[in-house]
Amino acid sequence: MSGEVIYEIKNASKRYGSVIALDGASLKIHAGEVVGLVGDNGAGKSTLVKVLSGAHQPDGGQMFLEGKEVRWDSPRQALEAGVETLYQDSGLAPHLTVSQNVFLGRELTVKGILGWFGFLNKKKMEHEAHRDLEEVGIAVPASNRAVSQLSGGQRQAVAIGRAVAWAKKVIILDEPTNHLGARQAGEVLNIIRNAKAKGLGVIFISHTLPHVLEVTDRIVVLRLGRIVKDAPTSEFNGDTLIGTITGTIQTIKVEGD
Amino acid sequence: MTDSKQVSAFKEQSPLRAKISSLFSNQSVVLIITLIVLGAFFQWGSEGGFLQTDLLGTVLDQWGSYILLAVGQLFVVITGGIDLSVGSTVSLSSVVAGWFVVEQLHKGPEISGGAAIPYVLLIAFICLVVGLLVGLLNSWLINKLKIVPFIATLATMGASNGIAVMISVGMPLQGPNDWDLGKPWNIFGVDLPVSTMIVAAGLITAVVGLFLHKSRFGLYTYALGSNAFATRGAGINVQRQTLKVYMLSGGLAGLAGAYAYVRLGAGSDTSGMGMELYAIAAVVIGGASLMGGVGRIVGICLGTLVLFVVQSGLLTMTVVQVSPDLKQVIVAILIAAAVAVQTLQNKNGRK
Repeated sequence: MSGEVIYEIKNASKRYGSVIALDGASLKIHAGEVVGLVGDNGAGKSTLVKVLSGAHQPDGGQMFLEGKEVRWDSPRQALEAGVETLYQDSGLAPHLTVSQNVFLGRELTVKGILGWFGFLNKKKMEHEAHRDLEEVGIAVPASNRAVSQLSGGQRQAVAIGRAVAWAKKVIILDEPTNHLGARQAGEVLNIIRNAKAKGLGVIFISHTLPHVLEVTDRIVVLRLGRIVKDAPTSEFNGDTLIGTITGTIQTIKVEGD
Repeated sequence: MTDSKQVSAFKEQSPLRAKISSLFSNQSVVLIITLIVLGAFFQWGSEGGFLQTDLLGTVLDQWGSYILLAVGQLFVVITGGIDLSVGSTVSLSSVVAGWFVVEQLHKGPEISGGAAIPYVLLIAFICLVVGLLVGLLNSWLINKLKIVPFIATLATMGASNGIAVMISVGMPLQGPNDWDLGKPWNIFGVDLPVSTMIVAAGLITAVVGLFLHKSRFGLYTYALGSNAFATRGAGINVQRQTLKVYMLSGGLAGLAGAYAYVRLGAGSDTSGMGMELYAIAAVVIGGASLMGGVGRIVGICLGTLVLFVVQSGLLTMTVVQVSPDLKQVIVAILIAAAVAVQTLQNKNGRK
């Protein structure tokens, strides 16, 4: 079903003061694979996402992108290496237009001396933003429309479209279906399938377990900062997944320490 | 290639309706109408008439001395911050420049006209550097010590003012000056309400405005105020952007200090007193939101103009006598009105 390992984290740990947020977590993501990351609040999902996206540095452990050891000092480095992250509820700047958001941090400038001063090629960005979003399966409103004028579902579609359009290797989606209606959530899941078909490694973090069961190939369960289960999605059903998350179903500890 | 059925309905507004509604929610249109109404009202209300060259020249001169502060403040406000130190920066920069030329180079007011131009340029340069340094200090307090902008710039406001008083010992430092820079232009025998100073301030405003609306620097300024978290997530160095914005505000305040110097022919520790409040008022009247992410350069130019048209206009009225002491009350009413209009527009916009 999927290609070789594209992104790997080995034995990662992270403490905040006396709180152990991540305790020897190891995880592999293959190209063209959707991995679901689930766990209760405080299980360490957000911390793991921040470490994988370069927002935080782990206290211990290693990371490998396409087999090469990497270390992110900033989210920028991870982005440039091809690891895109869509953070929970905060993907877009509402006062900026759709195309400004899509190109934020990667703007196209005009040619010549004005370009050297950072003057932007608005038309080209609007055109390309429209095309890129369409390619990943989103019909976008006018690219020059402010994001604050879009509905919640439209915003989320633009945010995900942006991440998928830019991702070269891995895409991390933190609660992308949160606050969405059934139909809009279905659209988001389709975009995830498109990303997978593109050969990206997808990490899908969600509390909505039916979505996780529907779209992922493999599910990784976090509890109290540890990975307690890592198995193909076919081995889970709704009940066993909840049991594993809450700890009522005992799990054999997977490799780690 | 992707099936279009999965796609949600992105309805387009009819272009005409969109145009009309955007016209009315546009602060600049509201301000232009306000200016026309005010101009007509004051023209009617004063015996000698309000719309005459020397009165307009006074209004534009006030505009010129405040516009650079307002533009710098606009950038800061768009990022969701505030810069209270700009008034003190005007005082400090003009005093430091005056001190250098008078006390160190021993050049006084006897140098005037064209011969003073090199000294005026030197003073402008020193003022700019002092302003940039104050901005650097502000951003350091905000970025590294994590002090909120209000408190950080309140601290530098007090410190700059104190240093200005220490250097000047409370006395204006009179230096070389070319008074023609502040005199109204006379072209083919016609007096115009603008001076070289006003035009210079206007040109700087135009250039900085282009950067705000057309460049990456401007885009990041909006992005930061709109959603700092997303901006960081997009790989943008938020601290560096904060540094640039506060240095821009400081640098423009320094240039406003040079403007004040040329107006007075001296560096004075009181030349920028209270100016920060007018700058903030101009920005708010001009349509910027103190919550960040909103504000346009044309709006701020018009907002600054409204502020001084109202002040000068009321004082020239002869139909009713208005006490100059009412100035601050009037500014307060204008700010309240501007914010109220903004709030109403936002409500309508969101529905």
